[in-house]
Amino acid sequence: MKLLANLRSEKPSAPGVHPKPFWSLRPRSDREAGDAVVSNFLLHWFPAKTYKPSLDWTYSFWLGTASAALFFLLTLSGLPLLLLYIPSVERAYGSVKDIEYVVTFGKWIRAVHRISAHLMVAVVFLHLVRVFLTGAYKNGSGRGQKREWNWVIGVVMLLLTLFLSFTGYLLPWDQLAYWAVTVGTNIASSIPLAGPEIRELLLGGRAIDQSTLLRFYVLHCIFLPAAVGVLFAYHMWRVRKDGGLARADRQALLAEAKETGAVPTKTYTLLGVARGTAPTIRTASLEAPDLTVNAVNDLVRRIAIVVLGTIAIVGMLAVFVPSPLEEPANALVTPNPAKAPWYFLWLQEIVTITTVKIGKFTINGAFLGGVILPGILVTLLTIWPWLDRSAASGAGLWFAGDRKKQNAVFLGICLFILVLTVVGTFMRGPYWHFYWPWQAWPEIPSRI
Amino acid sequence: MTDEKDAGGRRDFLYKLGFGAGIAALVGQTAASLRSLVPNVSYDAPTTVKLGPPQEFPDGLKFLPEERLFVFRDGKTFHAVSAVCTHLGCTVRAEALPRPEERTVNGVPLRMTHRFLCPCHGSKYDGEGTNVAGPAPRPLAWYHLSLALDDGQLVVDLAKEVPHDFRFTLA
Repeated sequence: MKLLANLRSEKPSAPGVHPKPFWSLRPRSDREAGDAVVSNFLLHWFPAKTYKPSLDWTYSFWLGTASAALFFLLTLSGLPLLLLYIPSVERAYGSVKDIEYVVTFGKWIRAVHRISAHLMVAVVFLHLVRVFLTGAYKNGSGRGQKREWNWVIGVVMLLLTLFLSFTGYLLPWDQLAYWAVTVGTNIASSIPLAGPEIRELLLGGRAIDQSTLLRFYVLHCIFLPAAVGVLFAYHMWRVRKDGGLARADRQALLAEAKETGAVPTKTYTLLGVARGTAPTIRTASLEAPDLTVNAVNDLVRRIAIVVLGTIAIVGMLAVFVPSPLEEPANALVTPNPAKAPWYFLWLQEIVTITTVKIGKFTINGAFLGGVILPGILVTLLTIWPWLDRSAASGAGLWFAGDRKKQNAVFLGICLFILVLTVVGTFMRGPYWHFYWPWQAWPEIPSRI
Repeated sequence: MTDEKDAGGRRDFLYKLGFGAGIAALVGQTAASLRSLVPNVSYDAPTTVKLGPPQEFPDGLKFLPEERLFVFRDGKTFHAVSAVCTHLGCTVRAEALPRPEERTVNGVPLRMTHRFLCPCHGSKYDGEGTNVAGPAPRPLAWYHLSLALDDGQLVVDLAKEVPHDFRFTLA
């Protein structure tokens, strides 16, 4: 009876306790909206107030939220697959075939998992492009901001996403898988001195065998998702600590131009306020109250739209887009042409053209194009926030005036990667020869 | 005074000792876990493989997928060329030349009937196994051939690379 009474009661049962067991979908006051965030576990990582322009669809395109939704979907759709797939070189292919053709709804679940994975690579990359072009890794007006470190974490998560995809498409143990492992681990093996040892560690031996599959399986199901999960949580926490999206800083900077006496600040912990030790971040939410909205419901509603929308799109695509399964892994025959998935084809193009001869000395393209060049790209990407010397006012602004050059170079590299991807996807035939899309490939027996 | 100072020093020392021991334990256990993943034994396929009686090899080329090996026969002489691409380890395919070529390699004549093409990144090798186009950094390996002492089968030693003038000739 008391419980029922509590459920109905609009008054808190004790000071500081939210009157309702769940948050209000339609808060009647700012107080109720703020309380919802404080008292609800699912909402506790949201701010009470959000800067309205940060929610614009066309500022962030909500790509980070979509990435998170895809990761969530991958985790969920991975659970039944975890129980259906058998990580053994003899039975892996058969179990995937069973998932595809025998298990009820198996085809759909596998398609959801596969499509989410492909989309996640694309969306995470686009998220990175958005953050770069808006200079959102730059610290704006807040004190104690470390946006550059959140960018680094983002780069690491992009790499983890790629490695998750790589380990994922190995699991069916079909031809694609076998030759991808062959090429991938030989790239590692081309590293001078330590190369062969690294390859042996990856393979769990000198040949591609059961221990190889098991290693990639455990990486795919445990280590990599756990790493992404932890980094994702930290990524979100940092966004909060840095005062929301970079766009909110911009507002604060603009406000600063016209000096207005005491500067309001906000903080996150009550004890911190009492002691005066909490990190304080100047924020538009207090300086421009007309531009802020309650996180409940304006932020929650948009997140729900993006997450549910992503799930709906993937769920429907999975009905119509079949998942391919090549022939079983065959160490005796390399497919012709042997192509990596689309997001690695630019690398396949690069390792094809980067073998160089200097006098009598030959550097294998595997090392130059497969290790050195991607290494340089990733290093540059990681340290870019420290190399970017543009003004802080460029943070959170699409195509800021003084970032023109770096944006152009960045987009140039993206375009180059895109062109190589298109060439690799549509214009490479048997023996990796170049063919225009309208040219027919010659008839070459698939086996010799 | 001195006692208190000593006590502080002792406390500080014990604190550092405990902290250090904790770190050492963590590092040691992590290292042990990682070391366990470095294989100590490799169950490799044997490197000397019997390929069958030499008389049964056709004149010209025979591809042995299990060994990833091309065995060439020209009458009584044999030589074996690896099918493993030196770029990234895919299996190259042999393509018959429209007309065979004659060449002298290190003073030994070689009749080249095929060339080799890689399906992964487009490397090309001539009939001798020399890389002529694409990203391959080295020629294809040639392996040592001999006869088995017990049953007279042709034997390849995949651990023993030989120069391109190597020929195995039947007595």
